[in-house]
Amino acid sequence: MRDVYLVDIDTPYPDAWIIVPAFNEAQVIGDVIADLRGVFDHVVCVDDGSRDDTADIALRAGAHVVRHPVNLGQGAAIQTGVEYARSQPGAQVFVTFDADGQHRLKDVVVMIDRLAKGDVDIVIGTRFAGSTVSHTPPLKRLILRTAAMLSPSSHRLHLTDAHNGLRVFNKTVADNLALTMNGMSHATEFITLIVENHWRVAEEPVEILYTEYSMSKGQPLLNGVNIVFDGFLRGRMRR
Amino acid sequence: MNWIQVLLIAAVIALLVYLLRSRTNAKAKAWVKVGYVLFVVLAIYAILRPDDTTVLANWLGVRRGADLITYALIIAFVFTTLSTYLRFKELELKYARLARAVALEGARTPDH
Repeated sequence: MRDVYLVDIDTPYPDAWIIVPAFNEAQVIGDVIADLRGVFDHVVCVDDGSRDDTADIALRAGAHVVRHPVNLGQGAAIQTGVEYARSQPGAQVFVTFDADGQHRLKDVVVMIDRLAKGDVDIVIGTRFAGSTVSHTPPLKRLILRTAAMLSPSSHRLHLTDAHNGLRVFNKTVADNLALTMNGMSHATEFITLIVENHWRVAEEPVEILYTEYSMSKGQPLLNGVNIVFDGFLRGRMRR
Repeated sequence: MNWIQVLLIAAVIALLVYLLRSRTNAKAKAWVKVGYVLFVVLAIYAILRPDDTTVLANWLGVRRGADLITYALIIAFVFTTLSTYLRFKELELKYARLARAVALEGARTPDH
């Protein structure tokens, strides 16, 4: 088990939905869902057409499960999860949470409390803000920082980490979210949507647990090229 | 007439016949067919009188007609590639929406 401390977490979050996109994560998904369910009532796991039994394990661990019949990519999975969650009665707070166990529960709680102040629509986790000690490997850090600087939207919003999987947002954002980039370019698209819809955004320092498992599942750095390319072409597409 | 001219004209006419016979979404693609007929007419003209393309090329500051055609080909190729890419992206999006509808239809809820 990872170092998750549930001691100081006693607030129930009946209106929060945690969205966990997962693709072939049978090895870890059980623990991740069970940890989440320890704090949150509502967790939806989007199985992105896994070939292993990710879906069944997630269901047994207490998550709602929606399953893509084919593999579509993380962006599509997040969109599916948000569409499922926003149709549930009482859902007000939405959280995207990576399935590989790289996020910490207490970061989620801090971010939900930040959103609850009501002055922002979306809170995005950042590895690179202020005082948090970042354990990001140097090369990855350089590439992510460059990606954040190259993206005109991130720049405008003063965001330091465009590709953090941890996001907390309200119903306004959930209702209007329409991700069209199925693959890994959705993070940039998310930021673009924030600019286009004038959602108020804040960053919250979070820590990423770079376990050997999450490192092996993480996106190859070369994928950054695809992300930049998709970003340029996005405007050309009819939607 | 050279053999190459015979072969090229035969190929272009075969393509024209093939295109006009295909009945897929007839109305929507009508302008594509008009454009194609125009292309065939120009192609046959260029095959029969290749030196005229050089005249046109010279007007545009290119030395040989063959070079001009190469440039046009490159532009057309890039255009086709890009529009195919965008078309694929569009299809991908529709495909994702279909899969999403299927997924949401079959949602499972935990017992506890």
